[in-house]
Order: sequence, then structure tokens, then C-alpha cells
Amino acid sequence: MASQGLSVDGERQHGQDVRTANVTACVAISNIVKSSLGPVGLDKMLVDQVGDVTVTNDGATILKLLEVEHPAAKLLVELAEQQDEEVGDGTTSVVILAAELLRRANELVRSRIHPTTVIAGYRLAMREACKYIKSTLATPIDKLGREALVNAAKTSLSSKILGSAESDLFANIAVDAVMATKSSKKEDGEMYPLSSIHMLKAQGKSASESQIMQGYVLNAPRASQSMPTSVSPAKIALLGFDLRRAKMKMGVTVTLNNPEEINKIQEKEIDLTALRIQTVLNAGANVIFTTKGIDDSALKYFSGGNAIACRRVTMKDMRRIARATGATLQLNMADLNGDESFDPSMLGHAEEVYEDKIRDDTVMMIKGPKVQPINTVLLRGPNEMMCDEMQRSLIDATSVVKRMLDSNMVVAGGGAIEAAVSTHLENFATMLGSREQLAIAEFAEALLVIPKTLAVNAAKDATDLVAKLRAVHSLAQSDPTKISLSKCGLDLAEGAVRNNFNAGVIEPAVGKIKVIQFATEAALTVLRIDDLIKLNKKENTGEALE
Amino acid sequence: MDGPASVAAGNGMSKEGDGFLSRVSERAKATRLGNITAARSVADAVRTSLGPRGMDKMVQTETGDVLVTNDGATILEKMNVQHPAAKTLVQLSKAQDIEAGDGTTSVVVICGALLEASLELLEIGIHPTIISECFQIGLDKSMGVLESMSSPVDLENREELVRAASTSLNSKVVAQHASLLAPLSVDAVLSIAGDERQGADLRNIRIVKKLAGTVDETELIPGLLLNQSAESGASGPTRIEKAKIALIQFQLSPPKTDMENSVVVQDYAAMDRILKEERTYILQLVKKIKATGANVLLIQKSILRDAVTDLSLHFLAKVKIMAVTDIERDEIEFISKTLDCVPIASPEALSADKLGKAELVEEVSFGTEKVIKVTGVSTSPDKPKTVSVLLRGSSQMVLDEAERSIHDAMCVVRCLVKKRAMIPGGAAPEMEVSVQLAKLAKQLPGHQGEWIRPRRNSGHTRLDELGPHGAGFRVLQVSVSGSMPRLWRSFLTRWRKTPGSTQSKS
Repeated sequence: MASQGLSVDGERQHGQDVRTANVTACVAISNIVKSSLGPVGLDKMLVDQVGDVTVTNDGATILKLLEVEHPAAKLLVELAEQQDEEVGDGTTSVVILAAELLRRANELVRSRIHPTTVIAGYRLAMREACKYIKSTLATPIDKLGREALVNAAKTSLSSKILGSAESDLFANIAVDAVMATKSSKKEDGEMYPLSSIHMLKAQGKSASESQIMQGYVLNAPRASQSMPTSVSPAKIALLGFDLRRAKMKMGVTVTLNNPEEINKIQEKEIDLTALRIQTVLNAGANVIFTTKGIDDSALKYFSGGNAIACRRVTMKDMRRIARATGATLQLNMADLNGDESFDPSMLGHAEEVYEDKIRDDTVMMIKGPKVQPINTVLLRGPNEMMCDEMQRSLIDATSVVKRMLDSNMVVAGGGAIEAAVSTHLENFATMLGSREQLAIAEFAEALLVIPKTLAVNAAKDATDLVAKLRAVHSLAQSDPTKISLSKCGLDLAEGAVRNNFNAGVIEPAVGKIKVIQFATEAALTVLRIDDLIKLNKKENTGEALE
Repeated sequence: MDGPASVAAGNGMSKEGDGFLSRVSERAKATRLGNITAARSVADAVRTSLGPRGMDKMVQTETGDVLVTNDGATILEKMNVQHPAAKTLVQLSKAQDIEAGDGTTSVVVICGALLEASLELLEIGIHPTIISECFQIGLDKSMGVLESMSSPVDLENREELVRAASTSLNSKVVAQHASLLAPLSVDAVLSIAGDERQGADLRNIRIVKKLAGTVDETELIPGLLLNQSAESGASGPTRIEKAKIALIQFQLSPPKTDMENSVVVQDYAAMDRILKEERTYILQLVKKIKATGANVLLIQKSILRDAVTDLSLHFLAKVKIMAVTDIERDEIEFISKTLDCVPIASPEALSADKLGKAELVEEVSFGTEKVIKVTGVSTSPDKPKTVSVLLRGSSQMVLDEAERSIHDAMCVVRCLVKKRAMIPGGAAPEMEVSVQLAKLAKQLPGHQGEWIRPRRNSGHTRLDELGPHGAGFRVLQVSVSGSMPRLWRSFLTRWRKTPGSTQSKS
């Protein structure tokens, strides 16, 4: 072949070889996460180079920790990340679906169908699928009942570590947490910024003792025992500067001729800080949080002023407290006259700030903030791994709730939507008289990988169950009177087909649409590649000199 | 090329064979063969990526980065080809990229086909100079053919331009977004285009890439986009209406003492003064800026000093000035051109007439990524216009490829601004040239006619390429059977391409 003569510094693979190699790599990735899909999916334990252990069921997390090297497989990892970012849930499904699409496409190409035909067919199928979900399968809920939100959160949680016994509790926590973040800006309408959900992990007790608490729990103790344990009403100052002894800048040298001056210099250093603290206290503040440090020698000024001070508070906490209490973070006290002062309007207000104990940690509770109510989700679990996984699961659930609130459309879960779309696409394929027909039929088949995997993971007879499911959906689409059957999915506990919509297994429609879109896009990207050129790594020039 | 051959002939190594072939040594023949094979293999490598249904290449570079692309020039550049003759083709494709911006794959494929054709001729014993000469005749003729089949373009006719841009975009990875990107590239280029002589300087289009959202959300901003985000540390403003923008090249931080010098404090009272001095110094600067009426500050990056400190941000926030730091040195020119402002190099040079004005400056965030949008810029009409494109994509690979594709599409439009003529795409011109050359070949006396024929065949090669990858012959039929206007191609692109590929035959 002529291309043999192409002398590149590296390897070159092309045609069917590269396609098969890419598909194999992607299928391998999907096989790793496959067993973690669904309410009865199993978890993965990952140990990294340092020896940190992660136990998780979340597709995106697993893939991120895998450090995949193969370029095509990397695409799939990115795909999961993308789904995680855009939707927050369904990261496992998207990878499984993409790999299945690729596997089937490769089979088609092997049986002498040109990849461009497959690509065209897949794209057609994807559009039709999304259209069908939007027009027929999705149910709009105008007045979103709380029940629907809880059910959706439950569906997301059911496949996670929290799903077994406590899904009721956690679904409610997730819904409460999201509702509490509701803020309506003038231009954007209602917004639910998930970043303002505050989660605190505390080991000990069982997961069922987790709760959502009114107020903000700040994981920082009082700076000194001599300070009061509670103040009410609280006026909160948020500072972004050091309250340690004022040090001179680099390049400034203190030279003394008289040894007695030493004392005065040291006093001056302390005085400068004392003056600052006094200015803040004079402005009326009785709770002071700073992101930097406070010297022990400065603590007495706070105690004397009957104020609580906490040091080394993280910037994230500061922002949330600022939003809730109406305080403004002060990086500096300088005013426009070149002096230092503290404006009382910078203070935030809350009903009460007091010290509390969670497990063995002392924390500060901020109750009744003036501007916006704020909640803290307290996660309890027997060990660190469990707590981490609980947090990941809950984040997924909150994003599902947010999607529901944003889009107002829901679909039935548990493989229902995949089976319905698959049946529809099969009918759609037979209507087409071109060679794309084959690709669309394969696309339809590929969608069934989700209910199949669900059934296999639940130790049920996948072939049997999926056949039943398809029969039901075929009936629903051919007979207009049986339209309600289109919401049927798998009941994995019983190993039967049931109406999942009525059973409360629901998911946001936008999530499902994105899964199909992203998976198709990723599959097409891999499929379009017919040439892989791997260049050799550059030699280290340092060695060459030797 | 004839050099070594004639020397070899002088040495008496030409005893095998008769006719003029005998004067060419075996070695020269082998070299030529080697060169042609290498060049052809380059053409083969990019061949499958041609056309709207072409495939992509995945390249893993020396540093381990992965790249998925459909752009001929990019593939060849990253492939790191080593054979010298093959390198010529790579450069050819690069030249096409610089000159026309698009058609980088076609140029290589045609060149490969020409070389292949010449190989046949060499084998039957025709001297390379004659082949060269005939190719030249063929080239002149094809130029004429292309010129005659082109139709003039009216820049007012936006739809036509969009069609040309779509034709370029259709063969790229981002093809499914062509309906959005094509009008966008046309609008971008047209808004900066001057008259026929000036053309359009693509440097006046700024593409800002953001890794957030999908390509669908790409937008054209008449104004300025900055990749930086507003300094929010001191809760300063992030949205300013009726903005007056100062672009400064000095720093708002206390000057540092030189290495060897130090400030000596001998008295505790002096400590107060030092602290206060820093505050007053910064305060004076901020007040001076405020006095000019500026309410948005763009600060150039400095490697020597901090551009801003907590203290200066604090003051800026107090006087409600929005601060944007880390402006790169090479961005200064574009910014000052866009905003019609003069960069201010020192605090002394501050004055109100150096400020740029805009209706709105605001920070927009997409998830974790942020950009600053400046819209409603008022500029004087004689200044060159600029425009910014906010390109979004879900992964770095998609983003990079989208940038390359949009650049190609813009180049196509730019070509149309320069030379306002178009020809149909989808291999229609190749076919026409081929037919015309065949006619010419019959008319020419002697052997010349014979040798032009292969050149004509090379036109077919391109056609054959589009065929198998175009799902049957649909693409072909569409463009030949009358619906030509659907696939307009920039005339200039083709015009450059043909001489390019003919001349690179050594």
C-alpha cells in the first residue's frame, strides 16, 4: 500500500484496524461501569497511587479516578464528565449507551456498510428520539408538586449507597436543600444555585441520623475560651485580612540605636492590630470571622468586647455567610481619606450565633440570618468513605431536583423511556427506504442496553424481562387506547413490568435527552476517526548531550 | 535534477538502453520515484478526510496531546512527516492555508494525483521537463476555464455568502452546527471588511474560546470579549452601564524597593507613617483615575510587580470602578483598536480623552467560566472595525476543532471579499476543467496533447474521492445535475489551489 512509504516518526494505524481498536477500548471502559447501573448496581472500590480509597457507584467519579490512557477511551471519560456538569446524573448510562452504539456501529461497518451511512443513520435516529421524548413521552407538570420532586430525587438516589433504607429521608433532604437556595434575580427569574448548598460531613452515628438543619453550621471553633459562647442578636463582620501583629513589608528594616526602643516597637506592632480590632468592635460588630489568622495576644480585645471571633474561615463559607446575612467581606479597612475605619453598613445580621457540638467538634451555629434563610445538610456515616459517597449521591440528587424545577418535564424511569424510544425507532426505521434504515435499527437495539443492564444487575432474566417490556411498549404505540402503557418500566425488586410513572420512578426529561444526545455525539466522534497517528515521545535532549 | 544525471552520463554510465532515457541514470530515476511515492503517500493519508462525508484523523502528538481533526493542513502539520519530498506537500498545504485558508486537503490530493499521473508518463519514457511544460499549459488553460465558469458575487447578497461558508464547514467535524456557524462567520467577516483592495484582515476578529456549554451556544459579539474575569475579591462592581474604559499599562501596587536598598526605620512612630504612606500612594492613583471619569479599568499584566493588591482593589471597589487584570501585552492593540482608546503608560498620562466608551460592560458566567462582554462601543467611523466571537464547546478537542473550522469558513468569506467571484463546489469545476482539458489535448499538435491528458485525469481523482465517501454518488449528482448554486465555492480558493499544486511538481 502506498501509505507504507509515509515516514512519520511514530506509528500509524488506519481503516478498520483503528476503528476496531477504538471501539474495543470504549467497550472496555463501559464494561467497568456497567455493573454499577441501577438500583441494585454494585459499587467500585478504587485505590489511587497514594493509597487513598474511594468507594463509589457514580460513573463520572469512577472514570475520573481511572486515569485512562487510550485516546478514544479518554473521549468517553470526558463524556461522563460533560454529563456530570450539564445534568449531574446519568453519567453511567451515557457511557454504557455510547459504548453500545459504537459496538453496533463497528459490526455494521464490518458487514460492509460505510461509516458515513452509519453516522447519518445515527444522527437521524438521535433527532427522532429526542423529538419523540419531547412530544410524546414527557409529561409536563405545571404545578410541580413536592411529591414529584421527592420521587425524582428518590429515583436518582435509588441507585446509590443511600438508596436502600434511607431514600425517603435523603430525598426530602435534597428537595429541602434545593428549595432553600431559591433566589429570584430580576433578569433571570428563579434560580437555584446549587453551589450554595452547604454540606457538612461528620463521621459517627448512622446515615439515618443525617439531617437538614436550620441555619449555617460553620466548622470552626471560637478562637478563645474566654469569649462568650453565644451572642444575640448577632452583628457579623467578615474580614479578609490578618489580625496578627503588624509586620513591616519586605525591604523595610528596623534599625535601633537604643535598646529601650525594642519594647516600644513591639508594643507599636501590637497596638496597630489592637486599633484595628477596636475599630471593628466600635462599629457594633459582636461576631468576627476572618479568613486569615488572629494572634493569641489579640484575642483579649475580643473577649473584652464580648465578641466571638473565628479565624481561618474558608472563602467558600465566607461567601455563603455573606449572602445569607447581608454582610460585605472586607479585604481592607482603608477609607478614602487614607485612614482606617469600618463602616457599620458592612455588617451582616442574624438572630443568634452560638457554639454547638457535633460529635467531638465544636462548631459555630448561625441562626436566623436576616437576608436569606440558609440550611446546612449534616451527613452522618460510619466512616469517611461512606460519608464521601453520601455527599456525591446527594449532589446528584440535588442536581436532579434542580433540573426538574428548571424544565418542568418528567419521564418514567427504570428503562421505560429507553424501551419506548427503541420501539418507536424500530417503526421509524421500517418507514425509511434508504440504507440508513440499518443504522437506525441498530440504534434502537442499542438503547435496550439500559433495561438489559438493569435487569442483569438485579440478577433477573434480562432476555425475558426486556422481551416483556418491548411487547408492552409495542402494544402502547400501536393501540391508542393503551397509551398509558408507554410509561411502563422494570420493577427490579419483583422482576416484573409495571407502570413506573405511577410507582413514582421518574426522572427529568432533559437528563434523558442529554444522555441520548451526548452518547450519540461521542459515538460519532469516535466513529468518524479512520486514522490514528501516534508520534513517538520526544527524546530528552539532556540525555542526548551526554 | 538534471545535474547529477548529466554528470553520470559523462562518466559513461549510460550504456544501458537507447533514446533519451539512456541519459538519465538509474539513480536519478530512483530518486524521482522515491519522491513521488512519498508525496503520494501523504496525499493518501489525507484523502479520506475530503468532502462533507469525509472521515477524521486522530493524532497523538509528541507531548501526548490528542487531536481529532478533519483539516488537511492541521493533520499534515501534526503528522511530523520526515521525507523531504513529502515535506514539500505539507508546506504546500500550509501555503494554501495561509493564502486561501481553506481547501488544504484538496490541494494535497490533486497534487498527489498529478504526481501519480506523471509517474505513468515517466515510465513510458517521457522526459520530466516535457511533462512539466505540459502541466504548465494545462494549468494556464484551467485558470481560464475556472475564470470563465465563475460568476460574480454581490457582497450584499448574504445568503450566497452563507452558502459558500456552509460548503467549507460541511466537511468539518462541527458540520452539524454549520447552520449556525456559517452565517456567523459571514457576519463577522463582513462587519470588518473594507473594499476590494483592502480585503478583510482576519486579525480584527477575535475568537475567545470557553470550555462550557455546547457549540450551539457560540455567538457573535459586536464589541469586545475578554477572557479575563473581573476582580471580585473586594466585591467591586461586575456590571457597568455607560462605561468609560481606561486601558492602563502601569500597576496599582506599592513600588518595590530595589534589591540592595532598604527603608530603614529607627523610630516606632515611623511605622505608622510607612503604613499610611502605602495607603495614600494607592489612594492618589485611584483618585487620579476616578478624576478622568473612568469606571472600568483594564490593567496590563506585569511580570515585575503585582498589577493590583488587595488594597487597591478595595479602593477601586469603593469608588465603583470595575477592574480587570491580566490583560496580555499582545491583546493591547486589539483592545485599543476596538474601544477606540489609547493605552495609558503612566499615571501622569491619564486624561479623559484617552478613554474608550461603551454602553455596557458586564461579566457573564457560564458555570465556572467567566468572560467580560463590552457592547455598544462607540468608535469613530474611520477606524478599522473589529468584532469578537465567543466560541463554546464541551471539550477542549471540540473547541479547538471548531476554532479551526470557523477560521476556514472566515477565510472563504475573506477570499470572496478580495476577489468577488464564485464557482460551484462538489467537484463541479474539476469535472469541467477535466472536460475542457480533454478537448485541448485533442487540438494540440504532437506529443503535447498526449501529455495533457493525464492532468485531466487528476481532476477525476478528486471526483472519485468524493464519490465513495459521499454515500453513493449523491453529492456528485447534485452538483452536476443542475442544482449547482447550492454548493458555491469561493473562486479565489480554487484559483490559488491549481497553480499551487501544479508547481510543486519538481
